[in-house]
Amino acid sequence: MNEPIPDSLEERGRQLFDASVENVDMRVRSRLNQARHAALELAQRPRSPFLRFPVWTSMAGVTAAGVLGIALWLGSPMGQHALPGADNQSNLEDLEIVASTDEGSGDTLEMLQDDLEFYDWAAEKSSAADTGSVG
Amino acid sequence: MSRFATLSGAWMAWDGPAPAPEDAVLDQTRELDKFLAEVERRAFRIAQVSLRDADDALDVVQDAMLKLARNYGAKPSAEWRPLFYRILENGIRDLQRRRAVRKRIMVWMPGPKEDPDDEAQDPLENVAAGGPDAPELLMQAEAMRQLEAALRALPGRQREAFMLRNFEGLDVAGTAAAMGCSEGSVKTHYSRAVHTLRDQLGEVW
Repeated sequence: MNEPIPDSLEERGRQLFDASVENVDMRVRSRLNQARHAALELAQRPRSPFLRFPVWTSMAGVTAAGVLGIALWLGSPMGQHALPGADNQSNLEDLEIVASTDEGSGDTLEMLQDDLEFYDWAAEKSSAADTGSVG
Repeated sequence: MSRFATLSGAWMAWDGPAPAPEDAVLDQTRELDKFLAEVERRAFRIAQVSLRDADDALDVVQDAMLKLARNYGAKPSAEWRPLFYRILENGIRDLQRRRAVRKRIMVWMPGPKEDPDDEAQDPLENVAAGGPDAPELLMQAEAMRQLEAALRALPGRQREAFMLRNFEGLDVAGTAAAMGCSEGSVKTHYSRAVHTLRDQLGEVW
């Protein structure tokens, strides 16, 4: 124990520090031992598979899911109605169908007039038949 | 290169989801146990010198062990020492910052002022009374007490550089990694620390 005192401050400091490490009391040693075992237990515990992936993998997955979700939503009828551009286009198409003329059957208004004449004729026939049967 | 280092190196490079082989995990755990057993008391004393409180020092060391095991356990064992001391020094600095904030708040609060620095452990408490080497141990304890007082008077970075280089025996590159600064800064901090300590302790020692 009676070692010669080293000249160098650095050497002396190191020796003193080493001696103080040897004199650490049992309470502290015991707590350090417990802490070490807790750390080793943690190291042995398998990490969640999700945590094994690098961060960028998770981010890429979330981004891909987001893009897919938006694409599906836009493809659905709900998504189409939600877009003002698609709504305008749909209305225009309806107007075109109503306004369009079918070359084989004449004008739409003409068809409506023919129908009215038919209903008039059917009503006259019906009332004439009723009169005849009574009289 | 050891078998473990090869395996862990390949594992880190691949970074895939497959688990490491079981024997490699056991080797790694044994190595980590050996490393932590080797550094735990030294780390405790380094933390105690900086924090002047045994319980706070224990907490910081425990936290550093857990973080190393959880976040860097798969790294090659050669990298553990600077990583461990980096975590430890960060923990010490965080605690010192919290104390400084608490101290500032306590100034404005009524009632008795709490100062953790006043609860510093007397190094003589650890020296066994009686015994054949008691006078020598008392002398050592007194010299260490003076060294600790001088170290605490140093700026934080100089103290870190001195303790990591001198007490823990890290080389300049390892100390730079642990402190998160350049090797040139380590040399400057260390040189200034030695100069100041020599000025303060030269006559006593």
